Amino acid sequence: MNWILPEGASLGFEGLAAPLRIVRGLGGGTQGQVYEVELEGERLALKWYLPACIARDAGLERRLAASIRATAPNDAFLWPIALLRASPASRPLIRIREESFGYLMPLRPPAYVGASEHAAGRLAIGLRQVLRACFGLADAFHALHLAGLCYKDVSLGNLFLEPCGGGILICDNDNVAVDGADHGAVLGTPGFMAPEVLLGQARPGADSDLFSLAVLLFRLLTRHDPLKGQMELAIRCLDEPARRRLCGEDPVFIFDPVDARNRPDPIEHAAALITWPIYPRPLQALFEQTFCRGMKQPSRRALTGQWTQELARTLDQCRLCPACGQENFLAAGAPALCWSCGSPLPQPITLALPRGAVLAAPDNELHPHHFDALVGEDLRRPLARVVAHPQEPRRLGLCNLSASAWSAEAADGRSWPVGPGESCSLAALIRIITPAGPIAVQRPIPPAPAA
Amino acid sequence: MPFPDVKLANRPLHFLYLCDCSGSMAASGKMQALNQAIRQSLPGMAAVARDNPEARVLVRAVSFADRAAWHIETPTPVDQLEWRDLQAGGITAMGAALQLVAAALQTPPMEVRALPPVLVLISDGQPTDDFAAGLEALRRVPWAQKAVRLAIALGHDADLEVLQRFIGTEPATAGRSPRRPLQAGNATSLAQYIQWASTAVVGAASMPASRVSETPLEPAAGNIPLPDLPPTVLDPTDDVGPVVW
Repeated sequence: MNWILPEGASLGFEGLAAPLRIVRGLGGGTQGQVYEVELEGERLALKWYLPACIARDAGLERRLAASIRATAPNDAFLWPIALLRASPASRPLIRIREESFGYLMPLRPPAYVGASEHAAGRLAIGLRQVLRACFGLADAFHALHLAGLCYKDVSLGNLFLEPCGGGILICDNDNVAVDGADHGAVLGTPGFMAPEVLLGQARPGADSDLFSLAVLLFRLLTRHDPLKGQMELAIRCLDEPARRRLCGEDPVFIFDPVDARNRPDPIEHAAALITWPIYPRPLQALFEQTFCRGMKQPSRRALTGQWTQELARTLDQCRLCPACGQENFLAAGAPALCWSCGSPLPQPITLALPRGAVLAAPDNELHPHHFDALVGEDLRRPLARVVAHPQEPRRLGLCNLSASAWSAEAADGRSWPVGPGESCSLAALIRIITPAGPIAVQRPIPPAPAA
Repeated sequence: MPFPDVKLANRPLHFLYLCDCSGSMAASGKMQALNQAIRQSLPGMAAVARDNPEARVLVRAVSFADRAAWHIETPTPVDQLEWRDLQAGGITAMGAALQLVAAALQTPPMEVRALPPVLVLISDGQPTDDFAAGLEALRRVPWAQKAVRLAIALGHDADLEVLQRFIGTEPATAGRSPRRPLQAGNATSLAQYIQWASTAVVGAASMPASRVSETPLEPAAGNIPLPDLPPTVLDPTDDVGPVVW
């Protein structure tokens, strides 16, 4: 890589009191180059634009300045912190003749890896973590859209995943603008662009974000593309005109309940066929809503709030197959078979809450939104977590992650206090009273004896 | 528990170098510069291939001098590629090289389904054989018609007209100038062009990059919109005198 900024040098920038040390180049593309930098002992990232990119996008500097003033919608965004132009003294050290600028943003921690690693099947990540990442993505877009902003260019390329916890980070926030107000230069990334944007009938905005978000969620959940089925197999050379037909002129969802022209091929598209049945019907329905009716009617697409709600519910329904240990997400109640090994899944204990229910399976969590109808879905501050007994893993308990004591009640009326950090066995209890609200412990009704 | 062991379906992307190894390439270290440029470009190319799970990037190379021959005959995944140095010596059988590539782009051996192939022709002189027949053979192959064809002219003696015929004439569209052979006047610019072809162009052909409104949305004459050329980065070695061929 030919680095535009000299690695190892300290440069002065207008508006920065201290010099910025260019630690090393991190990467570059057609827009610009990204560097790790140090400012007064703090490590940050600097994106420096290529003159061609600035020339193409007249609103870039104005948009960045507005984003910097508005601050990040939530902490999932590697949001611009400051716009930088080289000071006259440092100008000669920058190795391009044309005038250019860049912006500072938080540095991505090394545990976060590009989402394309997951798409390629190279990332060791669990189903639950993928669902958590999907929730984090939908939640980030929820915060962005609620702030009246739109992202415009969602793709695998600007999403990073932390595989152990399912955390996410979104980079390249330089196209963010007030929805409908600023006609920036970017249109989106083919394959993620809404059909109306690909065909040039609309500018990217919050409605097209909803399409791109659904594509990205689908790709994370299935490792497959929602529009690549039989109709893609019929294309010999997948070039621009072919992509335009497939994703713009005649886009058909591979699981469209009515239009069966683009079904996945059992061999070529096995990923989609294996993973799609894992997900509960209400979650599948949001994809159908976005990719069927919402394909041509942008206002009918599933909203960010619908995604966060349904993804949080899916996580609440997680239970482990006793035979193979794999996570299953189908609703309790009806008889179900493990998607992975086909064993019947036993009916689990359910924790009934003022708002919703959580199945008793290790690592499932209770959050404030389970108790308070006025708070939105949020997975960041759990109040309780289902845990397996350290000696007897089959015995499940509930760990108090809140700062207040609970009261655990048995069927015979006896009760015990459960302090912060302590766990109570679910086997003996019928109810747990917490300051947030009551938790009812519901056991499955044993099957009626055969007559 | 791990995510199901499934992978994104992908398509092959064939990348072919056509390298001039005629005797004139031995002058002024041009052959060494080309070997270095290609070798240096491989890590970046492998990174692009990794970032584009929809594509399986496979590299081949043809050398041409007194005759044309496969330098790398088996389509090789870029992360497994070891670049053996090309040796200069002989005349310029460019037409024969095009014949060789034309045969390789027939189906079979080409897959039925693929991404547009990328062909990169690098030359410093004039063909000494029947270039027109080679080009005609190439033009008849559907995969060659779909291919992204790039040409790099080394030094001042390269036959720009022949290279232009290889990449084809394309009318200027939407403010873009028509495509021309890339002219590498020194080792630095050669390395930049090779890097650009093996990273930015491979990226554009495998998974489309983010689009800006200047890019024509109507299907353009080319079937893959080419990314911007690398910016002219001021080379610190310029101060000590460039290697001018």
